[in-house]
Amino acid sequence: MNQRSDTTVRPVAEIRDLRVEVGGRAIVDGVSLRVLPGRVTALVGASGSGKTTTGLALLGEYPCDARVSGDVRLATDDAVGYIPQHPAAVLNPARRVSALLTDIARSQVRHLPRRQRRAAARERVLRALAEAQLPEGEALLRRHPHQLSGGQQQRVVLAQAMLLGSRVVVADEPTTGQDALTKSGIVDRLAAVAARGIAVVLLSHDLDVVRALADEVVVMRAGKVVESGPARRVWPAPRHPWTRELLSAEREFPEPDGRAGAGRTVLRIRGLTARHRTGARSTTVVLRAPELDLRSGESLALVGRSGSGKTTLARCLAGLHREHDGEILLDGVPLPGSLRDRSRAQLAAVQYVFQDAAAAFDEHRPVVHQVARTAIRLRGIDAKAAEQEALTTLNRLGLPEDQSRRRPGRLSGGELQRAALARALLAHPRVLVCDEITSGLDTITRRGILDTLTALVREREELSLVLITHDLDVAARARRIAVLEAGELVEQGPAQLILRAPSHPFTVSLMRTAARPAAGTGL
Amino acid sequence: MARVSGLRSFVARRLLLGALQIVAVVLLVFALTEALPGDAAVALAGDQPDPARIEAIRAAMELDRPAWERLADWVAGLLLHGDFGTSLTSGRPVGEYITDGFGPTLLLATLTVALLVPAGFGLGVLAARHEGRIVDRVISSVTLAVYAVPEFALGVLLVTVFALQLGWLPPTAVGYGTDLLGHPSALVLPVLVLLSRPVCSLVRLVRAGMIDALASPYVAQARRYGVAGVRVRYAHALPNALAPAAQQLARTIDWLLCGVIVVETLYVIPGLGTVLLGAVAERDVPVVQGLAVVFGALTVALNLGADVVAHRLAPRAGVAA
Repeated sequence: MNQRSDTTVRPVAEIRDLRVEVGGRAIVDGVSLRVLPGRVTALVGASGSGKTTTGLALLGEYPCDARVSGDVRLATDDAVGYIPQHPAAVLNPARRVSALLTDIARSQVRHLPRRQRRAAARERVLRALAEAQLPEGEALLRRHPHQLSGGQQQRVVLAQAMLLGSRVVVADEPTTGQDALTKSGIVDRLAAVAARGIAVVLLSHDLDVVRALADEVVVMRAGKVVESGPARRVWPAPRHPWTRELLSAEREFPEPDGRAGAGRTVLRIRGLTARHRTGARSTTVVLRAPELDLRSGESLALVGRSGSGKTTLARCLAGLHREHDGEILLDGVPLPGSLRDRSRAQLAAVQYVFQDAAAAFDEHRPVVHQVARTAIRLRGIDAKAAEQEALTTLNRLGLPEDQSRRRPGRLSGGELQRAALARALLAHPRVLVCDEITSGLDTITRRGILDTLTALVREREELSLVLITHDLDVAARARRIAVLEAGELVEQGPAQLILRAPSHPFTVSLMRTAARPAAGTGL
Repeated sequence: MARVSGLRSFVARRLLLGALQIVAVVLLVFALTEALPGDAAVALAGDQPDPARIEAIRAAMELDRPAWERLADWVAGLLLHGDFGTSLTSGRPVGEYITDGFGPTLLLATLTVALLVPAGFGLGVLAARHEGRIVDRVISSVTLAVYAVPEFALGVLLVTVFALQLGWLPPTAVGYGTDLLGHPSALVLPVLVLLSRPVCSLVRLVRAGMIDALASPYVAQARRYGVAGVRVRYAHALPNALAPAAQQLARTIDWLLCGVIVVETLYVIPGLGTVLLGAVAERDVPVVQGLAVVFGALTVALNLGADVVAHRLAPRAGVAA
């Protein structure tokens, strides 16, 4: 970039001493921020630190019933572009992709004679799509949002901002829950936006992406800015202890659980082929796993991009995916393909923890009762003993009794995920399947949950873990790693070996893309 | 394209299913009319139920033949010649009954739908725009109150007020025959009664759907990017509220076309409802069956249409055959 010092460039947006109060509690308190053209300004912090509220203030949007003081100034009248965490949410499910784009373009061609307007608007839309790296715009405009991939949806939302001529684009957690390859695509896209002279405000707790992109870093905690400055200064020498903690949480590359010589084989998969129904009679094979073993006391990470068949494999284990051939043996006994045909002991033996903990709880009953229910249903113990055990387990996982007695709505995402773990543990499972259970959480919460898991496997000798993840940092905690690509099991082996010396080309590329954003630190 | 052929095969499957449904309706209606005590002969014999005379009428009308033979004859006539048969009581072709009755029914239905759609959608969107405020409260409570009044009660009330006390409108369509269009004043009260409940359910459905849609992130995005309010409401929010409303609208049209017996009887309108009522009273099996086929086909066609519209409006949901 050609800017020598920040003072010579006029900011395109500026926030001065912003304070947003909801119900008497300040969620953003005295935040000041300068957004420069062509630069990426990253707001970093754990969930609840006020990043999103600050970002939305640039769009002139505040939570309802908020009391706002301070200044938000924009250099131009152009609307600020917004790329939300889930781009699908801002695309109208009942309309074709072209609907909003055409409406935006139409307002820009009012000066033309009526007859030329339609063609001019269309041309603008196509140009904006091309700028957002969607060259095949014509065909794409006729589709509905659900017919696009996640990446295409994000690019369409980006094209809306391009079409609008926004000088500032706010991107809210654009990489959360994405795999390494998709992430690097998003990084490229945002870098290209900044290269056009547009100011990008990145709200993220994903430090890899922040490191790869950010020119300016603003670290937030509990609604306040604790540290801010150019990225090249903040990363190597963080001044505030909170920044240091945030960075160390990220950098730590833990040793996998080192217990030597795991026990005998608990789960044996032989010749597994899983299918999805695609029509009335046709099916497609979505997963082939000829051979995979899980030993007692071992943790196995299933790694791969989204859509590679990780979750399907786990669902076969749990009896949630019936359309499969081959054998899944638990202690040498074949498990029935469907949940319904499994005995209580078999049900208890394989437990599943889902990604979205909030959706996995009934919102109307206290958490502890829902956790205890597993023990009552699957182990047949009485309600009182079950509740006692639930409270003990929840407490062990870091949820004190008063929190356990609350309803799910009053717990945070991380706390709910701990409760979901406790609920699965109350079945006394042999195999615990964790399906992306940390991917929606911020760095510090994620580390807490992963530490808990590591401790669990160490403590309970009979427990084996299947970790489904696209995050290699998470996979690094497992003893063994199995890599899936397009439904094929391409590589498996000890974690150290796979991470240090991957042999399959896909695994190599996965490692490389994961390493790349971090390598951008030197900028 | 795969998607189009998917929709086409869905339509084909549904039409086949619809044909089976119509057959089932005909069989059921035939069985039920057979099961009723008495038949057309008894009805015709009237005040002199002399068993010998009833037997004679039965023989003349071929009612003494086995039930399945009569049904087979009727079905063969319908399939081979498109002939609905002839009425047992008057000897007129059933097709004539249907075409005569269909005119007034279609007229009432068309007028009602023409008023129902703008009123229902307009009021629904208006209420959703002012959610929780006075306009919304008035619309919501009035629609709920009107919905709670049965048609016959509302019909009688309207006749009492506007025809008998104020004398503004004729109380019934007696004497106008099937030429209702020549006497528009006779149509006002029946259309109002027909409109009353459907408009309420439609308004409430559209309101609920619009409130969800207006609070959605995609509407926020459209507003954020400077799309005008009217366009946001009607082009971006409303399509998402339409799918349930379209289903409800199809049910309403179905109800309007398949003989609105209470209203037609109350206002003495010679539509399909009146024809049906008369035919059942006289045990006129061919007429009842002919109407069953027409009503069945209409119901199948309208519901299929609504499902296709819903598929277009909520493409994600897919369609269940």
